[in-house]
Amino acid sequence: MWENVKLGPEAFDLSGKRALVVGAASSVGRAIALALSEVGADVTVTSATPKASEALAVKRLARQIAITGPRREPQALDASLATAVQVMVRQVVKDMGGLDILVTAPDLFLGKAAEKTSDLEWSRIINANLSSVFYACRAAGREMVKQGWGRIINVASAMGERGLANSAAYCAAKAGVMNLTRALAQEWGPHGVTVNCIAPGWLEDSPGLGDPDPQANRLIRFIPMRRPGNADEVAPLALWLASEASGYVSGQTLFVDGGLLCHL
Amino acid sequence: MYREKLELKDRVAIVTGAGRGLGRQMALALAMAGTDIVAAARSQDQIEGTAREVEALGRRALAVRTDVRDSAAVDKLIESCLQEFGRLDIMLSNAGIGDAITQGKELWDVSDDEWHDALEVNLSGTFYCARAAARHMVQQRRGVIINVGSGTALRGYTANFAYAAAKAGVIALTKSLAVLLVRHNVRVNCIIPGFVVQSPPADPQAVDFIRERGRYMPVQRLGEAWELGPLAIFLASDASSYVTGQGFIIDGGGLAGGYAPVGFTPEVRMA
Repeated sequence: MWENVKLGPEAFDLSGKRALVVGAASSVGRAIALALSEVGADVTVTSATPKASEALAVKRLARQIAITGPRREPQALDASLATAVQVMVRQVVKDMGGLDILVTAPDLFLGKAAEKTSDLEWSRIINANLSSVFYACRAAGREMVKQGWGRIINVASAMGERGLANSAAYCAAKAGVMNLTRALAQEWGPHGVTVNCIAPGWLEDSPGLGDPDPQANRLIRFIPMRRPGNADEVAPLALWLASEASGYVSGQTLFVDGGLLCHL
Repeated sequence: MYREKLELKDRVAIVTGAGRGLGRQMALALAMAGTDIVAAARSQDQIEGTAREVEALGRRALAVRTDVRDSAAVDKLIESCLQEFGRLDIMLSNAGIGDAITQGKELWDVSDDEWHDALEVNLSGTFYCARAAARHMVQQRRGVIINVGSGTALRGYTANFAYAAAKAGVIALTKSLAVLLVRHNVRVNCIIPGFVVQSPPADPQAVDFIRERGRYMPVQRLGEAWELGPLAIFLASDASSYVTGQGFIIDGGGLAGGYAPVGFTPEVRMA
């Protein structure tokens, strides 16, 4: 491998790579899809919940991507349905002629006290944030293992690393994504597929953050950078994780959190 | 708009341990992204070699012989950089020594000198570099410090436990400095390599050794020094503007697993 390596910035060029972003209606999913497209990847985007607003958002996003990249039909998807995910991934693989990069970024938040959380709410949050990721990874992993090369990037959350009150189901689901990532990394490492996690801290549009003005928001004082991040600051990390240069990184969760986790 | 964030046009970086291995590759990667490089290490020949390679890439370079154990020498290194280039944007503290000095030794046979040596180079050296660089970066109200830890810090490492302890110190130092310097717009992060081969193997035995070792990694190979280059660019650039106090583990998936070696876990049917 020492010859013809891309050592400099050209390492982040992803021309010829085929990417699927599941949950591209979330701000981070959207930014990653745009970033992948900007560096030359062929990108298909899907929604993650049956909400009409999500379907509309990915439709718009697909149109934006098509301005500079190849035109791909956006997929309206309920990612918590295993069969739907499997069928969608098959279709996308057929359309693009293969799949090199999978990004999962579903994000369904529930801010509710644990004792008030219903069975249905619990299972909806787990299904939307964790099961969906497993279904997408499984379906994409089948293709990537066959192909002998793949990059899977799951978007979790710093809430998967630290507990937060009034969000037990969400915290549990995101922690599940992180350890799912570690397990899949072990399983598919020998097949050339790396699996990693990006965990953002508070972002401008995070539910529960409230007013992003530090004067008005006491929560922001707990972030060392004294500001929430934004999705555009998260996306470049995905470019590195999607590239050839990250082939020796697997099973990792990388935090983009403005120093949040360094606080005592 | 994302690609531009990775550019490092006209920035200036100091890379310690830049004479060979990881440091050399990271210095070259930063130079390719547009950075001028101050190459520091103990061996003059080697850093001059790196400096010439940087110049061949069209960037300016300076080789400054430095022993990072000597804090006065580190202060002088920063001064030379400022004198030559007028600024310092990136401090990459890569210098370290991890020879297997405690391998096969009983704990009580490890000398004070061996212990102190490992801490001096790997931990104190990193502190001296960060301190000296921060003085200037704080005035500039902008800067990036990148330390290099080690995967050995996160598990037991018998071949050189002093090194592992020192590198664990580097990781802890990174987190504290990140919080200390964040209000000055200085980010501090850490690259944590696992088993990474320093340079292309010279002979067939080395190739065999590397292949054999690689079988224990989930990705079935060892890392290669060049693989740290793009990561250094990412951490040094605005692409990581919201990342501070983090350790980036690049270890072939080893630390994410380790519960049982690769290939040792059979499928078991549900009862």
